[in-house]
Amino acid sequence: MSERTLYSVLTYTPGTTIGVGLVALHMLGALFAPLYIPFGETQLAGFPLLPPGTAEHVLGTDVLGRDYLTRLVMGGRSSIFVAMVGVLGAVVIGGLFAISAAYIGGLYDDAVMRIVDTKLSIPGILFVALFVTGFGRSVTVLTIVIGLTYMPGAIRIIRSQALTLVPLGYIKSARLRGESALSVILRELTPNVMEVVAVEFAIRTSSAILTISALSFLGLGISPPTPDWGLMVSDGVRQIYTAPWLVLLPAFFISTLVIGLNFATDGLANALGLDAARGLRG
Amino acid sequence: MALLEVKGLKVGYYDETGTLVPAVDDVSFALDKGGTLGIVGESGCGKTTLARALMGYCRPGSAIMAGEVLFEGEDVLEFTTPELRRLRGRRIAIVPQNPLGSLTYHMKVGHQVTEILKIHQGMDNKAARQAALSLFAATKLPEPERIYDRYPHEISGGQRQRVVIAGALACEPALMILDEPTTALDTTTEMQVLKLVKDLREKIDTALVYITHDLTLTNYMCENVLVMLDGKVMERGRASQIFESPRTDYTKMLVSAIPRVDAPSRAAARTGAGRQPLLRVERLSFAYRPRFSLGGLLKAEDAPPAVDDVSFAIESGEVLALVGESGSGKSTVANVICGLLTPTSGDVVFDGRPINLSARHRPADLKRRIQIIFQDPLSSLNPRRRIGSILARPLEMFFGLKGKRARDRAVELLEDMELTSDLLRRFPRQLSGGQQQRVAIARAFAAEPDLILCDEVTSALDVSVQAHVLELLKGIQAKTGAACLFISHDLGVVKQVAGMTVVLEKGVIAEAGPTERIFTDPVHDYTRLLLAAASRREDFEELAAQRI
Repeated sequence: MSERTLYSVLTYTPGTTIGVGLVALHMLGALFAPLYIPFGETQLAGFPLLPPGTAEHVLGTDVLGRDYLTRLVMGGRSSIFVAMVGVLGAVVIGGLFAISAAYIGGLYDDAVMRIVDTKLSIPGILFVALFVTGFGRSVTVLTIVIGLTYMPGAIRIIRSQALTLVPLGYIKSARLRGESALSVILRELTPNVMEVVAVEFAIRTSSAILTISALSFLGLGISPPTPDWGLMVSDGVRQIYTAPWLVLLPAFFISTLVIGLNFATDGLANALGLDAARGLRG
Repeated sequence: MALLEVKGLKVGYYDETGTLVPAVDDVSFALDKGGTLGIVGESGCGKTTLARALMGYCRPGSAIMAGEVLFEGEDVLEFTTPELRRLRGRRIAIVPQNPLGSLTYHMKVGHQVTEILKIHQGMDNKAARQAALSLFAATKLPEPERIYDRYPHEISGGQRQRVVIAGALACEPALMILDEPTTALDTTTEMQVLKLVKDLREKIDTALVYITHDLTLTNYMCENVLVMLDGKVMERGRASQIFESPRTDYTKMLVSAIPRVDAPSRAAARTGAGRQPLLRVERLSFAYRPRFSLGGLLKAEDAPPAVDDVSFAIESGEVLALVGESGSGKSTVANVICGLLTPTSGDVVFDGRPINLSARHRPADLKRRIQIIFQDPLSSLNPRRRIGSILARPLEMFFGLKGKRARDRAVELLEDMELTSDLLRRFPRQLSGGQQQRVAIARAFAAEPDLILCDEVTSALDVSVQAHVLELLKGIQAKTGAACLFISHDLGVVKQVAGMTVVLEKGVIAEAGPTERIFTDPVHDYTRLLLAAASRREDFEELAAQRI
């Protein structure tokens, strides 16, 4: 097989390109939001409940008269930030646990995996609710809770990939030449599970965005008046007959981002040939 | 009229730019009813692509570019899907390379054969079962009734291949295609399976296309042979004539590269009597301990020892071969010596000191002095490191060489292996199998070892590449004076490289002595059996029967 370039991975199929495009649009939109939004995100900018298409307020205003476009693009920032940082932490820290468990094995492996099992046996929403009640609602707490929620799954997947590598010749030769466990883990194993880690990161991020929205909707996530998509859906539900766009617009933003992430991840996994790596093919 | 006639067949694969590059290029041949044709070539010569095209199949990413495949006068390439379905399995059957991959693993093997009979012959369950059982009996599967209800993973590799052959013969096809059916099997099992196919084929008068990289096997199986290189037919003719007096340079090279059991041994037997051996293995036993588990508590089960009471010695500078079928415990011995496993009982004495330690507890200098080279070259090199970094690591760890000095030494090592310094920048995947194994050898010799363990180092390589790699390995071994434990199932190779030979059977030493003596005058029945299988002799069956 010829060497993969970043470009060839990102445009593996038309679906991948669409997915990557949607994600890029969301990311850039959220990242540069402060540069182009016409109003402050908590500023009472006009009449309440203006419909979309109004001259000054392209996407209308909400029940308090805040500019809805501003709130939508700013609302993505907290979700995306919490999801990405939380999941990044989960795959990096979880990845180290996973690879070391696979390599060292024995009691350590058992201990790590039983902790993982224990965590997986607690219903996710209950865990989050307890955590948030205990430590309060803030972006930091939410990021940590997302990280903890997604770590066990990531450990499972990454460990299983690492386990397929441990019996290979290059790991044996590293051991026989006297490399320390840390050196084998970092130099020999980690570079070879990076593809799985990348895909894992992408899958879990899209799921985390949905989780965060659900949490905000339930009042466990980001607290008002900070804009957040889940929160906006929750607020908008009360006006669903009079001003349906208040629900539909944030819902549309959530779904385009999640669909984009899923498309992009699918393409990414296929392009990297992870089916083969997991032994499903050939 | 010929049963099968291939005219100017061209099959190509799409490259990145979307153009078709031929992998099978203008191949023509004819095969009579009941005839046999061997197609020989090294990996990547297009022989599997050709085999699939004969059934009107192209792998994804490939396409037929030109030509005709006339089977009983009709062009298979023009067939519609239902027509192909009636053809495949009924009139033409294929036995692919990997028997485990070609059986569905959640289906009992019996059902996989009855399925074919039900679809193609319209048999009912009972009749199909009877037919399958008699096929199993015909393919000499032990206890057909019991095998019938087994799943593929519950039977041995040789048995799996027999099941696949039973499935292929189910409808008594007019043409059977064997695509390297025995590559994954031992020489002795291989010979049993091939003998079976040969006999059954004659009985039901099926034509045979036999695809292999091994010229000696085509000589055994087929009347006529096609030799392929890069998708083109290099040479064709009667098998015996091609084998005895090849005409083209390529075929000559292929024939001469085959390690032969009857060639004179080129390695010296042990000379210096009374010298202190470099490595002594004394009454070594090893058994895999069952992992602690609840099931183990309820059913205490002692695994039979993988190696049982094995003793031998290697002198410095000497090459000693360890020979046996898979599962005979050869690799276990190597793993114990290098410290990946610790022996259950017995001693490994290196340079006068016992070293029954796992690698972790061995001093760094001892680790340096014993090096191992593995069977699969690709998986023994980290795919994410460049060759330069792979070679530099042992130099840094054992000799503290860094930067330019490490690089210079790495280039020297590559040159010893007849590789150029531009490989330093490449990744393992960008190298051919032979080059990868040469890099692995260079890495082992980077440590300047006193003892090198070669675990089936050439069995994953093509014949011609194998000859070259062996030559280089012998060269560097002689140059550095390292002793070598050479593990192989290939007696021809052993004959070429080793002065002394130890034959292992099921973990026990069957016979040991100078290679020349063992090959010309074997004492043990098992050695005779291995030799007969390796030289493709007809008396192989009798020897095998005596053993059982």
